Amino acid sequence: MKEKKETVILDDYTNWVHRFGRIGALIAILYMVFIPIAIALAYDSFPPLSAILKGGIGVMALFIPIGISEVISYTPILGSASYLTFLTGNILNLKLPCVLNALKLAKADQNTPEGDAIATVAVAASSILTMLIIALGVLLLVPLQPLFQTAFVKSATSYMLPALFGGMFLGILGPEQGSFRIKNKLLIMIVPVVIVSITVITGILISGLEGVAILLMLPIAIGIARILWKKGIVQVVTNEVKED
Amino acid sequence: MTFYEISNSKLLYGLVIIGLLYILGFAAIFLKRSYKRCVELGIDRSTVNDVIKSSLAFTLVPSIAIVIGFFSLSAVMGIPWPWWRLSVLGSVGYELMAADLASKGMSYANVAAMAEANDPQVFSVIMIVMTIGILGGFLVLLPFGKKMTTGLMAAREKKDSTWGIVMSSCFMLTLASVFLPVMIFGDAVSAATLFTSALITLLMTLLIKQFKIHWLSNFVLAVTLLLSMIASVGWQALLG
Repeated sequence: MKEKKETVILDDYTNWVHRFGRIGALIAILYMVFIPIAIALAYDSFPPLSAILKGGIGVMALFIPIGISEVISYTPILGSASYLTFLTGNILNLKLPCVLNALKLAKADQNTPEGDAIATVAVAASSILTMLIIALGVLLLVPLQPLFQTAFVKSATSYMLPALFGGMFLGILGPEQGSFRIKNKLLIMIVPVVIVSITVITGILISGLEGVAILLMLPIAIGIARILWKKGIVQVVTNEVKED
Repeated sequence: MTFYEISNSKLLYGLVIIGLLYILGFAAIFLKRSYKRCVELGIDRSTVNDVIKSSLAFTLVPSIAIVIGFFSLSAVMGIPWPWWRLSVLGSVGYELMAADLASKGMSYANVAAMAEANDPQVFSVIMIVMTIGILGGFLVLLPFGKKMTTGLMAAREKKDSTWGIVMSSCFMLTLASVFLPVMIFGDAVSAATLFTSALITLLMTLLIKQFKIHWLSNFVLAVTLLLSMIASVGWQALLG
Protein backbone atom coordinates (compact mmCIF):
# COMPACT_ATOMS: atom_id res chain seq x y z
CA MET A 1 0.00 0.00 0.00
CA LYS A 2 2.81 2.35 0.96
CA GLU A 3 4.61 1.49 -2.25
CA LYS A 4 1.48 2.33 -4.28
CA LYS A 5 1.12 5.70 -2.54
CA GLU A 6 4.77 6.53 -3.23
CA THR A 7 4.20 5.66 -6.91
CA VAL A 8 1.21 7.99 -7.10
CA ILE A 9 3.06 10.90 -5.43
CA LEU A 10 6.30 10.48 -7.36
CA ASP A 11 4.91 10.19 -10.89
CA ASP A 12 6.55 11.65 -14.01
CA TYR A 13 5.15 15.16 -13.55
CA THR A 14 6.13 15.36 -9.89
CA ASN A 15 9.64 14.18 -10.64
CA TRP A 16 9.87 16.66 -13.51
CA VAL A 17 8.49 19.64 -11.55
CA HIS A 18 10.98 19.18 -8.71
CA ARG A 19 13.95 18.55 -11.00
CA PHE A 20 13.07 21.54 -13.19
CA GLY A 21 12.36 23.70 -10.13
CA ARG A 22 15.63 22.80 -8.45
CA ILE A 23 17.86 23.20 -11.49
CA GLY A 24 16.07 26.36 -12.68
CA ALA A 25 16.23 27.96 -9.24
CA LEU A 26 19.88 27.03 -8.81
CA ILE A 27 20.80 28.67 -12.14
CA ALA A 28 18.84 31.78 -11.10
CA ILE A 29 20.61 31.93 -7.74
CA LEU A 30 24.03 31.62 -9.36
CA TYR A 31 23.06 34.42 -11.75
CA MET A 32 21.88 36.57 -8.82
CA VAL A 33 25.28 36.20 -7.17
CA PHE A 34 27.04 36.78 -10.50
CA ILE A 35 25.45 40.23 -11.08
CA PRO A 36 27.05 42.09 -8.12
CA ILE A 37 30.39 40.36 -8.68
CA ALA A 38 30.37 41.25 -12.39
CA ILE A 39 29.46 44.88 -11.67
CA ALA A 40 32.09 45.22 -8.94
CA LEU A 41 34.80 43.76 -11.19
CA ALA A 42 33.71 45.75 -14.27
CA TYR A 43 33.80 49.07 -12.40
CA ASP A 44 36.78 48.24 -10.19
CA SER A 45 34.66 48.70 -7.08
CA PHE A 46 35.06 45.33 -5.38
CA PRO A 47 34.75 46.01 -1.65
CA PRO A 48 37.05 44.47 1.00
CA LEU A 49 35.64 41.43 2.81
CA SER A 50 35.55 43.44 6.04
CA ALA A 51 33.12 45.95 4.43
CA ILE A 52 30.86 43.12 3.23
CA LEU A 53 30.86 41.58 6.70
CA LYS A 54 30.24 44.95 8.38
CA GLY A 55 27.34 45.76 6.09
CA GLY A 56 26.04 42.23 5.89
CA ILE A 57 26.12 40.74 9.37
CA GLY A 58 22.83 42.32 10.42
CA VAL A 59 21.09 41.48 7.16
CA MET A 60 22.24 37.87 7.24
CA ALA A 61 21.45 37.47 10.93
CA LEU A 62 17.93 38.65 10.23
CA PHE A 63 17.03 37.30 6.83
CA ILE A 64 18.68 33.89 6.71
CA PRO A 65 16.62 32.53 9.64
CA ILE A 66 13.50 34.33 8.33
CA GLY A 67 14.05 32.85 4.87
CA ILE A 68 14.49 29.36 6.29
CA SER A 69 11.43 29.70 8.54
CA GLU A 70 9.34 30.93 5.58
CA VAL A 71 10.29 27.92 3.49
CA ILE A 72 9.41 25.57 6.35
CA SER A 73 6.12 27.38 7.03
CA TYR A 74 4.79 27.97 3.52
CA THR A 75 6.11 25.09 1.42
CA PRO A 76 3.35 22.72 2.64
CA ILE A 77 0.76 25.16 1.31
CA LEU A 78 2.57 26.15 -1.88
CA GLY A 79 3.64 22.64 -2.90
CA SER A 80 5.84 22.40 -5.96
CA ALA A 81 4.98 26.03 -6.76
CA SER A 82 7.46 26.87 -3.97
CA TYR A 83 10.41 27.04 -6.38
CA LEU A 84 8.81 29.76 -8.48
CA THR A 85 7.22 31.45 -5.46
CA PHE A 86 10.45 31.84 -3.51
CA LEU A 87 12.31 32.83 -6.66
CA THR A 88 9.90 35.65 -7.50
CA GLY A 89 9.30 36.75 -3.89
CA ASN A 90 6.41 38.78 -2.47
CA ILE A 91 5.15 35.64 -0.77
CA LEU A 92 2.89 36.87 2.02
CA ASN A 93 1.43 39.86 0.20
CA LEU A 94 0.88 38.18 -3.14
CA LYS A 95 1.71 34.53 -3.87
CA LEU A 96 0.26 32.83 -0.80
CA PRO A 97 -3.18 34.53 -1.09
CA CYS A 98 -3.10 33.78 -4.81
CA VAL A 99 -2.57 30.05 -4.16
CA LEU A 100 -5.31 29.92 -1.52
CA ASN A 101 -7.68 31.69 -3.91
CA ALA A 102 -6.84 29.22 -6.71
CA LEU A 103 -7.41 26.19 -4.47
CA LYS A 104 -10.77 27.60 -3.45
CA LEU A 105 -11.83 28.33 -7.04
CA ALA A 106 -10.79 24.89 -8.27
CA LYS A 107 -12.24 23.25 -5.15
CA ALA A 108 -8.92 21.42 -4.74
CA ASP A 109 -6.96 20.56 -1.61
CA GLN A 110 -3.26 21.21 -1.25
CA ASN A 111 -0.98 18.19 -1.18
CA THR A 112 -3.15 16.47 -3.75
CA PRO A 113 -1.98 16.27 -7.38
CA GLU A 114 -4.83 18.59 -8.42
CA GLY A 115 -4.10 21.15 -5.72
CA ASP A 116 -0.40 21.13 -6.47
CA ALA A 117 -0.92 21.69 -10.20
CA ILE A 118 -3.52 24.45 -9.83
CA ALA A 119 -1.33 26.24 -7.26
CA THR A 120 1.52 26.24 -9.78
CA VAL A 121 -0.76 27.64 -12.49
CA ALA A 122 -1.80 30.49 -10.17
CA VAL A 123 1.73 31.34 -9.02
CA ALA A 124 3.13 31.23 -12.56
CA ALA A 125 0.40 33.51 -13.96
CA SER A 126 0.78 35.89 -11.01
CA SER A 127 4.59 35.98 -11.29
CA ILE A 128 4.49 36.80 -15.01
CA LEU A 129 1.99 39.63 -14.51
CA THR A 130 3.91 41.12 -11.57
CA MET A 131 7.11 41.20 -13.59
CA LEU A 132 5.33 42.90 -16.49
CA ILE A 133 3.74 45.51 -14.20
CA ILE A 134 7.08 46.31 -12.56
CA ALA A 135 8.63 46.64 -16.04
CA LEU A 136 5.84 49.09 -16.89
CA GLY A 137 6.69 50.95 -13.69
CA VAL A 138 10.30 51.20 -14.87
CA LEU A 139 9.18 52.73 -18.16
CA LEU A 140 7.05 55.27 -16.30
CA LEU A 141 9.81 56.04 -13.83
CA VAL A 142 12.42 57.11 -16.40
CA PRO A 143 10.65 60.36 -17.32
CA LEU A 144 9.73 60.86 -13.67
CA GLN A 145 13.19 60.28 -12.20
CA PRO A 146 14.12 63.99 -11.77
CA LEU A 147 11.19 64.22 -9.34
CA PHE A 148 12.75 61.50 -7.18
CA GLN A 149 15.98 63.49 -6.81
CA THR A 150 14.28 66.42 -5.05
CA ALA A 151 15.11 67.34 -1.43
CA PHE A 152 11.55 66.52 -0.36
CA VAL A 153 11.68 62.98 -1.72
CA LYS A 154 15.18 62.37 -0.34
CA SER A 155 14.01 63.60 3.05
CA ALA A 156 10.95 61.35 2.93
CA THR A 157 12.97 58.28 1.88
CA SER A 158 15.16 58.69 4.98
CA TYR A 159 12.22 57.46 7.03
CA MET A 160 10.92 54.71 4.74
CA LEU A 161 11.45 52.00 7.32
CA PRO A 162 9.34 53.41 10.19
CA ALA A 163 6.80 54.50 7.54
CA LEU A 164 6.41 50.86 6.56
CA PHE A 165 6.93 49.23 9.95
CA GLY A 166 4.13 50.98 11.84
CA GLY A 167 1.52 49.37 9.63
CA MET A 168 3.42 46.14 9.14
CA PHE A 169 3.89 45.57 12.87
CA LEU A 170 0.16 45.96 13.41
CA GLY A 171 -0.24 42.96 11.12
CA ILE A 172 2.46 40.96 12.92
CA LEU A 173 1.15 41.76 16.38
CA GLY A 174 -2.53 41.33 15.48
CA PRO A 175 -4.34 37.99 15.09
CA GLU A 176 -3.35 35.89 12.06
CA GLN A 177 -5.87 35.93 9.21
CA GLY A 178 -5.09 32.44 7.89
CA SER A 179 -6.39 29.06 8.98
CA PHE A 180 -5.02 29.46 12.51
CA ARG A 181 -4.02 32.09 15.05
CA ILE A 182 -1.62 32.03 17.98
CA LYS A 183 -3.34 32.88 21.24
CA ASN A 184 -1.32 35.02 23.72
CA LYS A 185 1.63 35.34 21.33
CA LEU A 186 2.43 38.87 22.55
CA LEU A 187 3.57 37.36 25.88
CA ILE A 188 6.55 35.94 23.97
CA MET A 189 7.70 39.49 23.24
CA ILE A 190 7.69 40.93 26.77
CA VAL A 191 11.19 39.90 27.87
CA PRO A 192 12.92 40.72 24.54
CA VAL A 193 11.16 44.12 24.38
CA VAL A 194 12.21 44.98 27.96
CA ILE A 195 15.84 43.94 27.35
CA VAL A 196 16.08 45.83 24.03
CA SER A 197 14.37 48.93 25.46
CA ILE A 198 16.87 49.06 28.34
CA THR A 199 19.82 48.65 25.98
CA VAL A 200 18.49 51.39 23.66
CA ILE A 201 17.77 53.86 26.50
CA THR A 202 21.17 53.25 28.12
CA GLY A 203 22.89 53.64 24.75
CA ILE A 204 24.28 50.07 24.64
CA LEU A 205 22.27 49.20 21.53
CA ILE A 206 23.04 51.80 18.90
CA SER A 207 21.58 52.08 15.44
CA GLY A 208 23.24 49.55 13.14
CA LEU A 209 23.37 46.74 15.65
CA GLU A 210 19.74 45.67 15.24
CA GLY A 211 20.78 42.52 13.41
CA VAL A 212 23.02 41.44 16.28
CA ALA A 213 20.22 42.20 18.73
CA ILE A 214 17.85 39.98 16.74
CA LEU A 215 20.38 37.15 16.78
CA LEU A 216 20.70 37.47 20.58
CA MET A 217 16.98 37.86 21.25
CA LEU A 218 15.85 35.01 19.00
CA PRO A 219 16.87 32.13 21.32
CA ILE A 220 15.33 34.01 24.26
CA ALA A 221 12.03 34.44 22.39
CA ILE A 222 12.00 30.81 21.22
CA GLY A 223 12.83 29.59 24.76
CA ILE A 224 10.02 31.65 26.28
CA ALA A 225 7.63 30.56 23.52
CA ARG A 226 8.50 26.91 24.18
CA ILE A 227 7.81 27.26 27.92
CA LEU A 228 4.53 29.13 27.35
CA TRP A 229 3.44 26.64 24.67
CA LYS A 230 4.23 23.67 26.92
CA LYS A 231 2.25 25.25 29.77
CA GLY A 232 -0.68 25.78 27.40
CA ILE A 233 -0.55 29.58 27.78
CA VAL A 234 0.44 30.09 24.14
CA GLN A 235 -1.87 28.03 21.95
CA VAL A 236 -2.54 27.53 18.26
CA VAL A 237 -6.25 28.03 17.65
CA THR A 238 -8.06 27.29 14.40
CA ASN A 239 -9.67 30.33 12.80
CA GLU A 240 -13.27 29.96 11.75
CA VAL A 241 -13.62 29.99 7.95
CA LYS A 242 -15.88 32.81 6.85
CA GLU A 243 -17.97 32.10 3.76
CA ASP A 244 -18.48 34.98 1.33
CA MET B 1 32.50 55.69 -11.57
CA THR B 2 30.35 56.87 -8.66
CA PHE B 3 27.54 55.16 -6.72
CA TYR B 4 24.90 56.88 -8.88
CA GLU B 5 26.68 56.17 -12.16
CA ILE B 6 27.11 52.46 -11.42
CA SER B 7 23.58 52.13 -10.07
CA ASN B 8 22.18 53.37 -13.40
CA SER B 9 24.85 51.89 -15.68
CA LYS B 10 24.04 50.21 -19.00
CA LEU B 11 25.88 47.05 -17.90
CA LEU B 12 23.65 46.68 -14.85
CA TYR B 13 20.56 47.29 -16.98
CA GLY B 14 21.73 44.61 -19.42
CA LEU B 15 22.46 42.03 -16.73
CA VAL B 16 19.11 42.69 -15.04
CA ILE B 17 17.12 42.40 -18.29
CA ILE B 18 18.83 39.08 -19.17
CA GLY B 19 18.03 37.76 -15.69
CA LEU B 20 14.41 38.90 -15.89
CA LEU B 21 13.93 37.24 -19.28
CA TYR B 22 15.28 34.00 -17.80
CA ILE B 23 12.85 34.14 -14.85
CA LEU B 24 10.00 35.03 -17.21
CA GLY B 25 10.81 31.95 -19.32
CA PHE B 26 11.06 29.82 -16.16
CA ALA B 27 7.58 30.97 -15.09
CA ALA B 28 6.14 30.46 -18.59
CA ILE B 29 7.37 26.83 -18.70
CA PHE B 30 5.87 26.22 -15.24
CA LEU B 31 2.58 27.71 -16.43
CA LYS B 32 2.46 25.59 -19.60
CA ARG B 33 3.35 22.29 -17.91
CA SER B 34 1.11 22.78 -14.88
CA TYR B 35 -1.81 23.81 -17.14
CA LYS B 36 -1.34 20.58 -19.11
CA ARG B 37 -1.10 18.65 -15.84
CA CYS B 38 -4.43 20.13 -14.64
CA VAL B 39 -6.16 19.01 -17.83
CA GLU B 40 -4.60 15.51 -17.57
CA LEU B 41 -5.94 15.26 -14.03
CA GLY B 42 -9.45 15.98 -15.25
CA ILE B 43 -9.81 19.61 -14.20
CA ASP B 44 -11.98 21.51 -16.73
CA ARG B 45 -10.12 23.92 -18.97
CA SER B 46 -12.74 26.54 -18.05
CA THR B 47 -11.88 26.07 -14.35
CA VAL B 48 -8.14 26.42 -15.04
CA ASN B 49 -8.81 29.51 -17.17
CA ASP B 50 -10.94 30.98 -14.38
CA VAL B 51 -8.08 30.40 -11.94
CA ILE B 52 -5.70 32.21 -14.29
CA LYS B 53 -8.12 35.12 -14.76
CA SER B 54 -8.74 35.37 -11.02
CA SER B 55 -5.02 35.19 -10.24
CA LEU B 56 -4.27 37.96 -12.73
CA ALA B 57 -7.05 40.16 -11.34
CA PHE B 58 -5.87 39.53 -7.79
CA THR B 59 -2.23 40.22 -8.72
CA LEU B 60 -2.91 43.53 -10.41
CA VAL B 61 -3.60 45.55 -7.28
CA PRO B 62 -0.79 44.33 -4.95
CA SER B 63 1.61 44.73 -7.89
CA ILE B 64 0.87 48.44 -7.93
CA ALA B 65 2.02 48.56 -4.31
CA ILE B 66 5.25 46.85 -5.38
CA VAL B 67 5.74 49.47 -8.10
CA ILE B 68 5.31 52.24 -5.52
CA GLY B 69 7.95 50.50 -3.38
CA PHE B 70 10.14 50.36 -6.47
CA PHE B 71 9.72 54.13 -6.93
CA SER B 72 10.81 54.66 -3.31
CA LEU B 73 13.87 52.40 -3.56
CA SER B 74 14.94 53.76 -6.94
CA ALA B 75 15.21 57.25 -5.48
CA VAL B 76 18.32 56.15 -3.60
CA MET B 77 19.51 53.00 -5.38
CA GLY B 78 19.04 53.75 -9.07
CA ILE B 79 16.59 51.98 -11.38
CA PRO B 80 17.93 48.56 -12.43
CA TRP B 81 18.86 47.14 -9.03
CA PRO B 82 15.46 47.76 -7.31
CA TRP B 83 13.78 46.56 -10.54
CA TRP B 84 15.71 43.29 -10.25
CA ARG B 85 15.26 42.92 -6.50
CA LEU B 86 11.51 43.53 -6.52
CA SER B 87 10.92 41.30 -9.56
CA VAL B 88 13.02 38.43 -8.22
CA LEU B 89 13.10 37.02 -4.71
CA GLY B 90 12.39 40.18 -2.78
CA SER B 91 9.52 42.17 -1.38
CA VAL B 92 9.17 45.86 -0.58
CA GLY B 93 9.49 45.33 3.18
CA TYR B 94 12.50 43.04 2.98
CA GLU B 95 14.39 45.20 0.53
CA LEU B 96 13.87 48.32 2.61
CA MET B 97 14.98 46.52 5.77
CA ALA B 98 17.99 44.93 4.07
CA ALA B 99 19.14 48.23 2.57
CA ASP B 100 18.66 50.00 5.90
CA LEU B 101 20.49 47.35 7.94
CA ALA B 102 23.37 47.26 5.46
CA SER B 103 23.70 51.05 5.42
CA LYS B 104 23.72 51.19 9.22
CA GLY B 105 26.20 48.32 9.36
CA MET B 106 28.50 50.49 7.27
CA SER B 107 28.09 53.37 9.76
CA TYR B 108 25.73 55.52 7.68
CA ALA B 109 22.69 57.10 9.35
CA ASN B 110 20.33 55.63 6.73
CA VAL B 111 20.04 54.54 3.10
CA ALA B 112 19.75 58.10 1.82
CA ALA B 113 22.94 59.15 3.64
CA MET B 114 24.71 56.10 2.23
CA ALA B 115 23.69 57.00 -1.33
CA GLU B 116 24.66 60.62 -0.70
CA ALA B 117 28.25 59.52 0.08
CA ASN B 118 28.36 58.33 -3.58
CA ASP B 119 30.99 55.65 -2.86
CA PRO B 120 31.02 52.97 -5.62
CA GLN B 121 32.27 50.28 -3.21
CA VAL B 122 29.25 50.91 -0.99
CA PHE B 123 26.93 50.11 -3.93
CA SER B 124 28.82 46.83 -4.45
CA VAL B 125 28.47 45.99 -0.75
CA ILE B 126 24.72 46.69 -0.88
CA MET B 127 24.25 44.47 -3.95
CA ILE B 128 26.24 41.60 -2.44
CA VAL B 129 24.60 41.85 0.98
CA MET B 130 21.04 42.16 -0.36
CA THR B 131 21.64 39.13 -2.58
CA ILE B 132 23.24 36.82 -0.02
CA GLY B 133 20.93 37.86 2.82
CA ILE B 134 17.78 36.81 1.02
CA LEU B 135 19.01 33.41 -0.20
CA GLY B 136 18.62 31.63 3.16
CA GLY B 137 15.36 29.95 2.24
CA PHE B 138 16.96 28.17 -0.71
CA LEU B 139 19.40 26.44 1.63
CA VAL B 140 16.37 24.46 2.77
CA LEU B 141 14.16 24.51 -0.32
CA LEU B 142 16.63 23.12 -2.86
CA PRO B 143 17.79 20.05 -0.94
CA PHE B 144 14.58 19.37 0.98
CA GLY B 145 11.74 20.91 -1.09
CA LYS B 146 10.69 17.63 -2.67
CA LYS B 147 10.61 15.75 0.63
CA MET B 148 8.77 18.62 2.31
CA THR B 149 6.03 18.87 -0.30
CA THR B 150 5.34 15.14 -0.10
CA GLY B 151 5.75 14.69 3.63
CA LEU B 152 5.64 17.88 5.74
CA MET B 153 1.90 18.39 5.56
CA ALA B 154 1.34 15.02 7.19
CA ALA B 155 3.77 15.97 9.95
CA ARG B 156 2.00 19.28 10.56
CA GLU B 157 -1.30 17.50 10.99
CA LYS B 158 0.05 15.69 14.04
CA LYS B 159 -1.14 17.10 17.34
CA ASP B 160 2.29 18.14 18.64
CA SER B 161 3.20 19.94 15.42
CA THR B 162 1.57 23.18 16.60
CA TRP B 163 4.99 23.97 18.10
CA GLY B 164 6.26 24.40 14.54
CA ILE B 165 3.66 27.12 13.98
CA VAL B 166 4.53 28.87 17.26
CA MET B 167 8.27 28.69 16.57
CA SER B 168 7.82 30.10 13.06
CA SER B 169 6.04 33.13 14.51
CA CYS B 170 8.99 33.79 16.86
CA PHE B 171 11.08 35.21 14.00
CA MET B 172 8.61 37.96 13.18
CA LEU B 173 7.86 38.62 16.87
CA THR B 174 11.60 38.99 17.57
CA LEU B 175 11.91 41.35 14.63
CA ALA B 176 9.17 43.52 16.14
CA SER B 177 10.69 43.19 19.64
CA VAL B 178 13.97 44.68 18.43
CA PHE B 179 12.84 47.30 15.92
CA LEU B 180 9.96 48.77 17.94
CA PRO B 181 12.11 49.90 20.92
CA VAL B 182 14.90 51.06 18.58
CA MET B 183 12.49 53.23 16.60
CA ILE B 184 10.49 54.44 19.59
CA PHE B 185 13.37 55.28 21.95
CA GLY B 186 16.13 55.95 19.41
CA ASP B 187 14.87 58.91 17.36
CA ALA B 188 11.83 61.19 17.82
CA VAL B 189 11.13 61.50 14.06
CA SER B 190 11.31 57.71 13.63
CA ALA B 191 8.92 57.23 16.55
CA ALA B 192 6.46 59.80 15.21
CA THR B 193 6.61 58.29 11.70
CA LEU B 194 6.14 54.78 13.13
CA PHE B 195 3.03 55.82 15.07
CA THR B 196 1.71 57.76 12.05
CA SER B 197 2.11 54.61 9.96
CA ALA B 198 0.31 52.48 12.53
CA LEU B 199 -2.47 55.07 12.84
CA ILE B 200 -3.01 55.29 9.07
CA THR B 201 -3.17 51.49 8.82
CA LEU B 202 -5.60 51.31 11.72
CA LEU B 203 -7.85 54.03 10.27
CA MET B 204 -7.86 52.38 6.84
CA THR B 205 -8.67 49.00 8.36
CA LEU B 206 -11.59 50.53 10.27
CA LEU B 207 -12.81 52.32 7.12
CA ILE B 208 -12.67 49.08 5.14
CA LYS B 209 -14.64 47.19 7.80
CA GLN B 210 -17.15 49.97 8.42
CA PHE B 211 -17.98 50.72 4.79
CA LYS B 212 -17.15 47.24 3.40
CA ILE B 213 -14.74 48.68 0.81
CA HIS B 214 -12.72 45.47 0.58
CA TRP B 215 -10.88 46.45 -2.61
CA LEU B 216 -9.09 49.07 -0.51
CA SER B 217 -7.38 46.30 1.51
CA ASN B 218 -4.95 45.78 -1.35
CA PHE B 219 -3.83 49.40 -1.12
CA VAL B 220 -3.34 49.66 2.66
CA LEU B 221 0.42 48.95 2.59
CA ALA B 222 1.10 51.27 -0.35
CA VAL B 223 -1.03 54.15 0.96
CA THR B 224 0.40 53.79 4.47
CA LEU B 225 3.96 53.85 3.14
CA LEU B 226 3.38 56.92 0.98
CA LEU B 227 1.40 58.96 3.52
CA SER B 228 3.76 58.12 6.38
CA MET B 229 6.79 59.10 4.30
CA ILE B 230 5.14 62.42 3.50
CA ALA B 231 4.29 62.82 7.20
CA SER B 232 7.92 62.11 8.12
CA VAL B 233 8.96 65.30 6.27
CA GLY B 234 6.55 67.24 8.48
CA TRP B 235 7.83 65.45 11.59
CA GLN B 236 11.42 66.34 10.60
CA ALA B 237 10.44 70.00 10.38
CA LEU B 238 8.73 69.82 13.78
CA LEU B 239 11.09 67.56 15.72
CA GLY B 240 14.26 67.22 13.67
